[in-house]
Amino acid sequence: MNAPISSSELTALSMTEAADAFARGEVAAEALVHASLDRIRALDGKVNSVIRLEGDAALAAARAQDQARSAGRPLGKLAGAPMMHKDMYYRAGQVSTCGSKIRRDFRPTVTATVLDRLDAAGAMDMGTLNMAEFAQNPTGHNRHFGDCHNPWNLAYCTGGSSSGSGAGVAARFFTAALGSDTGGSIRLPATLCGVTGLKATQTRVSRHGVMPLSFSADNVGPLVRTARDAARFMAVISGHDPKDPTSAREAVPDYEAALTGSLKGLKVAVCETYFCEGADQPVLAAFEAALAAMQAAGASITRVKAPSLKAINAYTAMVSRVEGAAIHANWMREYPADYAIHLSARLFGGYAMPGHLYVEGLARRGPLLRQFVAEALTGFDVVATPTVKTQVPTLAETDIDADPANWHRFMAVSANTRPFNYLGLPTISIPCGFDDRGLPVGLQLAARPFAEATVLRAADAYQQITDWHRRAPKL
Amino acid sequence: MEPSLVLPMMEMIRTWSGVSVPNAAARHGLADHLALIAELEALRGSMVFEDEPSSFEAALRDCQEPAR
Repeated sequence: MNAPISSSELTALSMTEAADAFARGEVAAEALVHASLDRIRALDGKVNSVIRLEGDAALAAARAQDQARSAGRPLGKLAGAPMMHKDMYYRAGQVSTCGSKIRRDFRPTVTATVLDRLDAAGAMDMGTLNMAEFAQNPTGHNRHFGDCHNPWNLAYCTGGSSSGSGAGVAARFFTAALGSDTGGSIRLPATLCGVTGLKATQTRVSRHGVMPLSFSADNVGPLVRTARDAARFMAVISGHDPKDPTSAREAVPDYEAALTGSLKGLKVAVCETYFCEGADQPVLAAFEAALAAMQAAGASITRVKAPSLKAINAYTAMVSRVEGAAIHANWMREYPADYAIHLSARLFGGYAMPGHLYVEGLARRGPLLRQFVAEALTGFDVVATPTVKTQVPTLAETDIDADPANWHRFMAVSANTRPFNYLGLPTISIPCGFDDRGLPVGLQLAARPFAEATVLRAADAYQQITDWHRRAPKL
Repeated sequence: MEPSLVLPMMEMIRTWSGVSVPNAAARHGLADHLALIAELEALRGSMVFEDEPSSFEAALRDCQEPAR
């Protein structure tokens, strides 16, 4: 008989550690969920990551998992792992606010395919998480449910739009969370909160039952502690879904089996064009240190240029803003005052963009993807960039509602993540250091389409030689 | 000072979409379009007659990693 595991030891487990410990019979699912619920109730008053806690339902599901294990029934890959998800994944009959006033009482009639797949894998869903209103800001501000606070320093941004997902995983409230990523909304909170976040290839994961923001650029993916967690999570949610005709039919590989733990032979392109221009010095220092560590472990580092990025960046802004404006047009006419200032201000600009340029942006997407791959991924396995060029900003200095002059600081947060949504490439963000104020810095790795296994392998191998991802904020 | 394009753009949006400017931050955001317009101006002529939106999914498939 093993010694009892304390509550703090349980919440310190990563998703795969928790699921593996449960599968080995070392911990009960009920104990894992209890520990998470206790920690949330004690500390989320500071962070504000949760919108709705479903404690009783989660405990009942956990007891069912414990009984299944006792009876010797097969366990899912994620059985026992406590999770919560951004409040934009529909569960039939349950309120999904999308972080908004407009949908405060919205009850969908369908359940998101990704939730169905996570349920089938035995994940413990404990409720829904704070987020940017309609997933439309990169900082984590929310006027309706309150701003989400960075667990490393409560005055600072969490990153958005999956703010509660990043903050809650960092705070050890739960082991994993779904985020969504249209311009960086998984990778930004992953970076600013010091956790791991993966945006998959466009079309890789079903979007059925998920609130839309931009048809061309929306993605579903996990925020977790480690690349191994992301690999197992992705194996559960990836693959074609008949309910989402846009989802890809490419086979889903065994992502965890691809984790060799080695950087030997990995060819890394460092695209300094655009991604490093104007970056803050502490960010560049952490980025260069990460490259040096990878090189010392056997990776090759080559500096490349990608002239295509100028066009990519311009069209990125065009496509996602026009699509967001179209989706919100009825509410922008009927309930403009129900939006936060920063959101209606962003949406408004989308109505000014000419239709022919939107079509041009879509038409150039394929050719520009081919061009970027030729420039930055031919002969290389991954492209490396800082995930965010700037140091983590405060909530106050990116608050457009208080002062429109904060617009540029607000928009700058997602400068390095947006291009990969337009390109549709699989991209991961992992912690690669801390700045002089004790706030995290992120390393972004992108690969060719459907090469999630490659970015996961590189990220996991980096995490084998560093401990940034193991550091936890003190709340 | 607010760029001269802001007021006509506001009027165009109201006419085409029936959406009125919601706040001062929205005007600030419209003024920010000058930079984007300049970026797109530099790209004029890059779209060719045969380009079509559906080429993106084909590019995703074609640009996958070579078989190892």
